[in-house]
Amino acid sequence: MFDILIKNGMVIDGVGSKAVLSDVGIKDGKILAIGENLKDGGRQVLDAAGLVVSPGFIDPHTHFDAQLLWDGAAKPALEHGVTSIIPGNCSLSLAPLKAEDRKTLIGMFQQIEELPPAAFTDAFEWTWETFSGYRAAIEGTLSVNVAPLVGHSVIRLWVMGADAQQRAARPEEISAMQDLLRECLNAGAVGLSTSFVDVDENARPVPSRFAQFQELDALCAVLGEFGRMLQIVPEFYDTDITIARIDQLAELSLKHKIPTTLSPVFDNRQSPNNVPRTLARIDEQMARGARVWPQMQTRPIDISFSLLRPSLFFARLPSWVKILRLPVTERISALRDPVTADKLVADAGEDGGERLMGRLIVRGGGEAPEHLVGRTLGDIAAERGEVPARALITLSLENDLEIAFLAANGGHDSTDRIGPMLANPLVHIGASDGGAHLTSFSTYGDTGYLFSEFVRKSGALTLEHAVQKITSEPAEIWGLKDRGILKTGYAADVVIFDPLTIDRGIERPVFDMPGGGMRYVRDSIGVDTVVVNGQIAWAKGAYTNAQTGQICELA
Amino acid sequence: MTLSQQRRFTTPEPDETLDSLAARARPDLDLATAIELIRGWNLHIFLMRRPRGLLLGGDVVFIEPPLI
Repeated sequence: MFDILIKNGMVIDGVGSKAVLSDVGIKDGKILAIGENLKDGGRQVLDAAGLVVSPGFIDPHTHFDAQLLWDGAAKPALEHGVTSIIPGNCSLSLAPLKAEDRKTLIGMFQQIEELPPAAFTDAFEWTWETFSGYRAAIEGTLSVNVAPLVGHSVIRLWVMGADAQQRAARPEEISAMQDLLRECLNAGAVGLSTSFVDVDENARPVPSRFAQFQELDALCAVLGEFGRMLQIVPEFYDTDITIARIDQLAELSLKHKIPTTLSPVFDNRQSPNNVPRTLARIDEQMARGARVWPQMQTRPIDISFSLLRPSLFFARLPSWVKILRLPVTERISALRDPVTADKLVADAGEDGGERLMGRLIVRGGGEAPEHLVGRTLGDIAAERGEVPARALITLSLENDLEIAFLAANGGHDSTDRIGPMLANPLVHIGASDGGAHLTSFSTYGDTGYLFSEFVRKSGALTLEHAVQKITSEPAEIWGLKDRGILKTGYAADVVIFDPLTIDRGIERPVFDMPGGGMRYVRDSIGVDTVVVNGQIAWAKGAYTNAQTGQICELA
Repeated sequence: MTLSQQRRFTTPEPDETLDSLAARARPDLDLATAIELIRGWNLHIFLMRRPRGLLLGGDVVFIEPPLI
């Protein structure tokens, strides 16, 4: 008898095969049988008539490192069908990390990933310093599977202390980093992440950016001992630099026989040649045998923000960030101060912020006056006889900072262009940033959006191809053993969903972060049941108590 | 497969300054010209970065203008 028998579903195996009407039998956490009309019966029988039964989805770019310590389901990722996640991207992980460096790391997470400090101080005890210690801290309470990266910045911090953000490493320090990385890989790290763009809360480049290429090469030699992944954040705003990074990755991949990935890669009308040129170079390097996977996310970046808290929107305006970090009372005083306000307006650009802020839209749902909702800041500013940056300040003050704005269609801005790119065999669907940027946008539901926007609406991918792109392909790219395919003997990570309705819900604020912190989330639509390692983790709109998530075994 | 021509770049050596990088990367030019050109070809370092011109070990530094 099976533990779970899924009857009458349209089974999509994850490798691109056409959907077939079949049953799936699960026992002891594994797929035991797939076939028509399985007879053995099951302790739990799920009727999947009219629904798709597919492998669980894999999200290769997340920042759930801290959240996993109080929420082993990485909510709401799991209810969208995500059964395996990769945290530790962008050079940042919670281990290895000495106690004295925790504050430094929290500052970087706060700046880069928009995670509130309370997420690191209110919700868990730091009981570890080593990578194996972090693994032990999350194991046992996981509902999703986790394949954690180790961050280059924290490896540098461990070995070099404050000098990690000052200088190149000496040979003996590089050797120590190699030993530390090897220790992390032996403890189950899926690879190393590094960043070439990020800065800390003081606008200082993160430690990984001070590394010479020789240091990265030395670390990749260790990755090569295990055949594991190097993830980088390239200068995605510049095609020439991105191509230079692709060439560096290709060199490292060929030399050390490792897979590499860069994320994110964006396409928009302002730089229409970016992705075509990037993919052309990837094609050339892949043809040489290099493994360089560009990650593209399915959704556009729609940043919502108010002056109540810092936002990614102000990433290139340090004077604004500085003011937004003040306590609310002081912040309001500063914004009311004419000298400070003049400086903020000046820093927004010589055009008074027209280019940067003029197309912002006043967002509904908060305290915004109804007559302003849906209008652009540029229009409102013109009506008030102000430049947009000034109007942003005055409107916010008039509404006790409760008025929210939407910067829509950052990153991607065209479904017609993005669909074929996502379908391209060279493109790795990812870069969701799951669990990060909490107060700017929801990082959940990219998988549902893949099906609603690019399968049903544009038809850029078939249902089977879309499933393949977020199951077997990431499992193979990252070397996740026995996952990503519905096949006997493989892990029973299964999603049952309605292909006609699967989608992401509307973006909405919730206040469920430690310390009552806010984040934007999206509910899942059309996902019926999620099974992780043979147990139902989410069904019919509710989480179960299953904690069968694992640290992924690697090929 | 032959790789197509792409814009040439270098990466900084330990403790390298713009002067020494320019001398190393473009010995065919006089130093002042090389420095000025490299500044203009690398606005991500010499215009967008704070502090401007802070040279980092991981940087891609272009040593020629964009290819047309």
